[in-house]
Amino acid sequence: MAAFANLSKPQARGRKPEPLPLSQLGAAALVKGVLDTDGEVEIHGTVQGRINADSLILGAMGNVEGDIVARDVRILGRLMGRIFALNVTLEDSADVTGRIFHNTVTVARGARFEGRMPWRPPSYFEALDQLPETQP
Amino acid sequence: MTMFTRNDKGQDTASPATAQPVRSDAQPAASPVAETRRPQAQPISSSSAAHGTPSVSVISKALKITGQLESTEDIQIEGEIEGDVRAVSVMVGANAKVKGTVRGDQVQLAGQVEGKIEAKKVILTRTARMSGDVVHQDITIESGAFIDGHCRPEYGKAEVKAPGLKTVVAGS
Repeated sequence: MAAFANLSKPQARGRKPEPLPLSQLGAAALVKGVLDTDGEVEIHGTVQGRINADSLILGAMGNVEGDIVARDVRILGRLMGRIFALNVTLEDSADVTGRIFHNTVTVARGARFEGRMPWRPPSYFEALDQLPETQP
Repeated sequence: MTMFTRNDKGQDTASPATAQPVRSDAQPAASPVAETRRPQAQPISSSSAAHGTPSVSVISKALKITGQLESTEDIQIEGEIEGDVRAVSVMVGANAKVKGTVRGDQVQLAGQVEGKIEAKKVILTRTARMSGDVVHQDITIESGAFIDGHCRPEYGKAEVKAPGLKTVVAGS
């Protein structure tokens, strides 16, 4: 649940002198379960499960099956599942199937997206402490 | 793809985001599209996403994984893991915490493990705290390391199977 707390107080984190370290999941890595961080994470491998982060980059070789909850999300790889994020960017190599709950979204030309992109006000993400049940 | 690039041609001149609207009409369809896309790929980027895909995994101190972590390359852990870890070489940093089994060819422990280590070569450094058994072929224990458990030189023998790293599915 830590990830949701982040969303509501971005200023507090910004005041910290040193930025939180970057975590990265290599192309050869596979995670089954939950990834939970207050910082930034880069996924180049495979994740089956849920990711909570402040900022997430899904690399071109990355593959996620599950839900992503973050403030900023940038997708270059494959996602099957849902995104709950204030700012979402789908780059041209993105391949996403599912739902993107967003406040702002950017989709590059060439990106593949199948599903729905419901807009939500920022307060929705701050108050988000349990993910809604949807059928992707 | 060809269908899309053909459509793009008309829109390129109208789009405010594209940097070279004039040139895109004069050139063959494929190249201006490729050029104009690249600059857009940078907005949130702050790291190595742009230059190649790394194969090493780093679990930083702010990251917690609940579940299983596997890799056919190396893993460096500075954070917290509840679950099993399997990789070629696993480094558990001084402030890291793992609850579960750590398997690999080589495991270097400077942090805390509650569970089990199964590795060909095990190194417990001065700051290591190991609660559980160590199954190894070759072990180094530095002065100051803490172990509560058995050390058995049985890695690779009948009862303890080799990690079988080849069966791990790499990210595709």
